[in-house]
Amino acid sequence: MAMQRELFKHIFKKPFTLRYPFKDKEKVHIPSDFRGKIAFYRDRCIGCSMCFRVCPAEVIEMTDDEKGKRPMFYLDRCTHCAQCEDVCPTKSIELTSQYESAGTDRTQMILK
Amino acid sequence: MSLNKEEKLVSEIRELLGDRVLDAKVQRLRSIFVTVRAQDYKESIREVAEKYGITHVSTITGADSGQTIDVMPHLSCAGVKITFKAAIPKTFAEIETLTDVFPGAVMYEREVHDLLGVKFKGHPNLARLVLSDDWPGDVYPLRKEYKVVRPEPIR
Amino acid sequence: MPEFSVIVGPQHPALKEPESFTFWVDGDDVVRTEVRIGYAHRGIEKAAESRTYIQNIPLIERICGICNVAHTICYTQNVEYLYGREIPRRAEFIRTIIEELNRIHSHLLWIGIAGHEIGFDTLLMYVWRDREVVMDLIEDMTGNRVSTALMTIGGVTRDISPELVTKLRKGLDLLEERTKYYEKVVSRESTVLSRVKGIGILTREEAIKHCAVGPTLRASGVKSDVRAEDAYAAHDEVPFEVITSDTCDLFGRVVVRVYETIEAIRQVRYCLDHIPSGPVRIRLPNTPPRGESVSRVEAPRGEDIHYVRSDGTDRPARYKVRAPTLGNLAALVEMLTPKGDYRVRVADIPIVLAGIDPCMCCMDRTARFIEPSKDREWVWTWNQLKKYAKARR
Repeated sequence: MAMQRELFKHIFKKPFTLRYPFKDKEKVHIPSDFRGKIAFYRDRCIGCSMCFRVCPAEVIEMTDDEKGKRPMFYLDRCTHCAQCEDVCPTKSIELTSQYESAGTDRTQMILK
Repeated sequence: MSLNKEEKLVSEIRELLGDRVLDAKVQRLRSIFVTVRAQDYKESIREVAEKYGITHVSTITGADSGQTIDVMPHLSCAGVKITFKAAIPKTFAEIETLTDVFPGAVMYEREVHDLLGVKFKGHPNLARLVLSDDWPGDVYPLRKEYKVVRPEPIR
Repeated sequence: MPEFSVIVGPQHPALKEPESFTFWVDGDDVVRTEVRIGYAHRGIEKAAESRTYIQNIPLIERICGICNVAHTICYTQNVEYLYGREIPRRAEFIRTIIEELNRIHSHLLWIGIAGHEIGFDTLLMYVWRDREVVMDLIEDMTGNRVSTALMTIGGVTRDISPELVTKLRKGLDLLEERTKYYEKVVSRESTVLSRVKGIGILTREEAIKHCAVGPTLRASGVKSDVRAEDAYAAHDEVPFEVITSDTCDLFGRVVVRVYETIEAIRQVRYCLDHIPSGPVRIRLPNTPPRGESVSRVEAPRGEDIHYVRSDGTDRPARYKVRAPTLGNLAALVEMLTPKGDYRVRVADIPIVLAGIDPCMCCMDRTARFIEPSKDREWVWTWNQLKKYAKARR
């Protein structure tokens, strides 16, 4: 019985499961370059629309504001592929390590 | 990187099939394309398979090229991918089956039949593979006439 | 003798993904099998024709969750062949590293699933605990545990830092020790052996005749692997052994996958020791030249082949994907057919189905409702769907 010794060792160990979200939230392993929620830096953006052209999920819509053309992000459709971050020439789009972004109202999930 | 093995294979196939070859070229390392007429399709493939002991067909691709449909079985011969191509008219899309030469091609021919409407004469069971049972019989999604209109995203 | 049919699927506890099998049984023995697939058909090949080459990368990645690296490598390789350009060597090594990590992940997942299908849930839990190690390594390398998004046309998007290399080496040491332990378990545990030896037999001639691929083919004694015959990425330099088994049954498939995991660990170590320095991507223009190209990759489940045709625009004219599970479908029906003394019992059905490592979402490829007869197409929101479901009841 090959598994008996292994099973016996584990009687004296703690369970491997983390009790997220009730207890062990700080033990969840999130690397610094995790592909999470999009953050947009308006002051760096030059309005080239490259992000709009590479997005596969129609998340980005180009609009105008007082400084010129800029993207607007409908974050409920985002698949976190990071192609917009990859192609932006001025690094105005960043995928943060925020991973809790669920919601019930899609109108609250627009990054203006 | 030298392409000697592929060039040799192309010239041997040209010699074997004679004037049944419409075009044969080395696409890149370990990949050659051979174009034949639809009526010589099965016999040419059978002769090449027998000469080189080819038993593995990777898949059969069907592609809509306007007025014709290209039927392209991809064979594998010691690592080299040999792609045969035969063009059949769209209005009369019929071609011989390869299932008696390669029994593993049953599923691939069913898929081309289902999505492009190509009839493989002699296939043991040309039933639906990927589309649902209540899909209308004369609508072939992968043909260019079947237009896909992407809906506006719900904002 | 009256025949009785048992329908397994499309929703069934024994299946991880939807497909419909109808088994005609005589008592406890299976007499005939019929397969119906297409429950997860999403029309990916048609969708790829209306998107640009760059927008297609996440689409192709979502053909399958577990084999996403194999499909993206095959796609980006295919388009790079159209351009006729070589990508930097460092990018090829990084592609090989993530591909082999993905293979370790997929095989560990499968060993757990196989344990679950024979009722050995303890093995499932322990193997999936150790699978967390490789998922954390993939997360450190790419930013997500499963969906890697590392490939782009012209190379890879991220580089690996020296800290990551240290983490990878530590993780690989742990994985190797655990995989060797599981190899002992599956080859000596009598409960496992009695459920997998002599079950699901596919002889060498049948495997070749039905064009089987991957570990299903290699467990029948055929030495065939795309990484050896048709080397891509860094596989022309990284040494590895093609693992085969002569038992032609399920036990052979389990053994082949366990040893392939150990080979994959060795390959990643070699890549980390010998990775050259340099850039990780080249910039390519948006439109490839006219032409067509075929590319093959050894996914964890077998040979994955893609075909692309370009007509000079920035969208593909035709993109064809043949995922490995479709290649094993004919062999699966053969495994479930009784011949001579070989019988298949109803209780063996779940493990035989799991034995080819089916990935149905790879095999099929709709988010939209279509009624072609009335020429109507529409999309529903979640609330509309709920109202429709309630009205139908």
